[in-house]
Amino acid sequence: MPELVHSDWRLSSRVLGKGLHEFLSFRLADESYVVELALVREISSPPALTKVPRAPVGVMGVCSVRGLLVTVFDLRYRLRVPLSPQSRTSRILLTSAGAEDELVGLFVDEVKHVIRLEGSEIEPPQSALGIEAPDYVIGVGRKQGDVFVVLNLVGLMS
Amino acid sequence: MVDVIDKAREEFLSEAQELIEALSRSVMALDELQNASSEDPALVNETFRIVHTLKGLSGIFSAKAIGTLSHQVEDVLDVLRLGKLQSSEEFIDVLLRVVELYWLLLANEKSGEEPPDLEPTLEQLRQFASRAGAERVESSSAQELDPTLLAVLTEYEEHRLRTCVERGFSLFKVRVCFRLETLDKELDAIKSVLTPLGEVITYLPTGEASSIDTIELDLLLASPSGAEDIEAAASTKSVRVVPVLLRSPRASQPERALERVAFTPPITVAPPPDQEQSPRRVRESELMTTGAIRSVSQTVRVDIRKLDTLMNSVGELAIVRGALGRVSERLRAEGKRQLATELQRLHRSFERRLGELQSGILEVRMVPLSQVFDRLTRVVRQISRDVGKQVRLVITGSDTEIDKLIVEELSDPLMHLVRNAIDHGIETAERRLALGKPEQGIIAINAFQKGNHVVLEIEDDGGGIDEQFLIQRAVHSGALGEGQATELSRGEVMNLVFLPGVSTREQVGDYSGRGVGMDVVKTNIAKLGGVIDLHSERNIGTKITVTLPITLAIVSALLVRCAGHTFALPLTSISEALSLDAANVRRINHREVYTLRGASLPLCRLEQLLELTTHSGHITPSGRRRFVVVATVGNRRLGLVTDELLGQEDIVIKSLGKSLRGVRGFSGATELGDQRVALVLDVAAVIEEVLHGGDAREPELRGTIDA
Amino acid sequence: MRILIVDDSNATRTFSREALEVAGLDGLEVSEADSGLEALRLLPRGPYDLIITDINMTGVNGLELLSFIRSHELHHTTPVLLISTQQSERDQERGSQLGANGFLAKPFTRERLLEVVTELVRRGASRG
Repeated sequence: MPELVHSDWRLSSRVLGKGLHEFLSFRLADESYVVELALVREISSPPALTKVPRAPVGVMGVCSVRGLLVTVFDLRYRLRVPLSPQSRTSRILLTSAGAEDELVGLFVDEVKHVIRLEGSEIEPPQSALGIEAPDYVIGVGRKQGDVFVVLNLVGLMS
Repeated sequence: MVDVIDKAREEFLSEAQELIEALSRSVMALDELQNASSEDPALVNETFRIVHTLKGLSGIFSAKAIGTLSHQVEDVLDVLRLGKLQSSEEFIDVLLRVVELYWLLLANEKSGEEPPDLEPTLEQLRQFASRAGAERVESSSAQELDPTLLAVLTEYEEHRLRTCVERGFSLFKVRVCFRLETLDKELDAIKSVLTPLGEVITYLPTGEASSIDTIELDLLLASPSGAEDIEAAASTKSVRVVPVLLRSPRASQPERALERVAFTPPITVAPPPDQEQSPRRVRESELMTTGAIRSVSQTVRVDIRKLDTLMNSVGELAIVRGALGRVSERLRAEGKRQLATELQRLHRSFERRLGELQSGILEVRMVPLSQVFDRLTRVVRQISRDVGKQVRLVITGSDTEIDKLIVEELSDPLMHLVRNAIDHGIETAERRLALGKPEQGIIAINAFQKGNHVVLEIEDDGGGIDEQFLIQRAVHSGALGEGQATELSRGEVMNLVFLPGVSTREQVGDYSGRGVGMDVVKTNIAKLGGVIDLHSERNIGTKITVTLPITLAIVSALLVRCAGHTFALPLTSISEALSLDAANVRRINHREVYTLRGASLPLCRLEQLLELTTHSGHITPSGRRRFVVVATVGNRRLGLVTDELLGQEDIVIKSLGKSLRGVRGFSGATELGDQRVALVLDVAAVIEEVLHGGDAREPELRGTIDA
Repeated sequence: MRILIVDDSNATRTFSREALEVAGLDGLEVSEADSGLEALRLLPRGPYDLIITDINMTGVNGLELLSFIRSHELHHTTPVLLISTQQSERDQERGSQLGANGFLAKPFTRERLLEVVTELVRRGASRG
């Protein structure tokens, strides 16, 4: 399994080489994704969102988190995943991966758990997905029969 | 008529507050002195003076309770300053109680409620006074002082003079000629040079050498030093130091004549010469007097609403700036390049100045956090004594500045956090020793500026927060489901403390137990546009971080609803709101115009401009009763059509994140009561967009007109 | 009628000013100084029909101000009202000797202030 060369995938400053890395897995529609756990500040139930008229597509709205105004994005939009109505399991991931380290929220259908992946357990996107991989995908991970798409959060938000 | 008379009362309340704050600091200083077993007559006098002033003020404004209290405190302080009473810890306790009572009485003056019972404290004060014999005894010293000098001293000043003489000080007249325009600064400068040397009793205008723009003053200085030392201290400018003769052995100093030369700024402060007396004591009095002087000559009290008005004007200027930019573009388009460039240069310059003006006004609203911290010191001392724990409060960064409005609202939440730390955080002395910690617990408050924010850290070295206990309480109060507990990260567990019902203890302590929990603190901080975070470690301590915006924009706004969305419209841009009468709507060239009292008002349907859809996805059809809010900015008006008027509310505008910068029409968002967020409409920008700048006679509406 | 009020308490000055304004005195013009020094600066802008000054101010006190006023060429006969605290008879004595025209002890009511002011201005005017 070829090692990941991080410069190809415009990662955040963290080097994703050999060794164990912690990821948070979540579900969007039927797909499972993971992002680096260290980038996730907080997970919360979706608070009342206020829509922002004439905002770019993918902006679900704004909400208040302990007094801080947070813009919430719909990851399903960005990843072109079918939308489903909010459910009991819907969550917002708070991350400071926004522009200029702004704290933003990402809407997901369900948060699963934390998993650890070795760099070697992540297959680079081209070979796994067989297409021109978007720059927000680091690769595809496999663990105990489950398949996750490993997302580059910073790349996703830029 | 009522407004006129209330202004004096407002100023009374403001002045009384300043005096009580000064008294609070005085008492703290007296406490320090008492602990160090040293004395400072000047400090006692200053304290007496403050109470005396409060008494006079309360008399004029019929604040009876304050007057009664002041009268009694004055008596006791008088005895103290005459040396007939020694300060003690019990005495300081009573003084602290007095300060507390003053705060309560001041609050009562504002609210009109029944004042608290003063009698117990009055009785304690009386006992102190009687212990020493409260009659004012003429000083036993038979010093003969120059009668012409005495003739212009007030009784108070004479007393100060005699006291200094009794301590063995000599008297000097320090004669200086000042320029009238810079009088305040020059005076402050010379005083800061002289005060370390002794006490400046008064200034006497000499009546000589005063031309139109100068004035000559004799500063009467009582000092243990000699004339040469005083001259040396004032070495960078020319002053004439003349000893005032007394009929006592000490006073035989030959008069020293210095050349009188015109006064030349700038002034540098010479270091105080060595004295027999402990320098620390004198420096204390320096602190007191320079502080007091500064409040009279260098500061201006401003009604914060006037600043808001100024900010509005600045906002209007911003619109002019935009128009300027467009004119310069039009010039360029018409081929008048030179003119366009020149105008553009002016435009840039205008923009710069405008920015400076805006920052300048914002700066004026800033006050140092020390205002809030001063009260905290007093509170910590009292509570720790009451609950029997040893606690020390360490404050750093108290000169960090923040918007005045924020400071006023910060007092309560801060007080509560500190009380919590003492009540629940810091352990008892025995427990601390058993854990290997020093007996005295520490609460450290640190304030600093970080970018556009002020950060306040409140840290204690107490027992930290018990995670399990928190989770239990959260589950118990229903805020957390049983199974969810295990899913939470450490950070999330800590944040449980902010849920309602979690942070109120079963046992009601005197202070923290009034049912005001951390959730209320969080809400109060959020209302100020701030954020609160908490970190804690068992047996090590707890650190609470409050991040606040440096300045606050609180505006009155009209809340409206349109197509299921709630918006806030700042009242400053609104002249009126009325029911829409469909009969008055006309269409002119695809635009809608409303006839209002004979004049034409261009209309804008908000749901069209903002492309709003209701949840069902359709634009709301007209036909139901609607409202028109008349927005006015400068001399342009626009009628905004909306579904409902929800009422008026004071809101704090928070800016939208950087990712939303491109969205037009909003100046930010605000949190309404129940954590719902409403967007704040940028009325000026909307008018711009709809009316395309400048010429209101050619409005164009975006979007289509619906039937 | 031009009146100068000197007092280091904002609230008290405003109180006195309002008391005078409300009374509808003819052609009333009230100037304020928040210290003895400030008053010294305003003196050349006279003449004034009355100067009201607190005695107990830090720096240049009311007595010193009075003494200066009496030596100022413009103000030898300007009526001066001294505001004192109740217990200080000595201050009042000294004020008398220095040439004050009237005294008012704190606390005073608006009505009392008005009475005293009206009387002093009348006397001053009749003296010519």
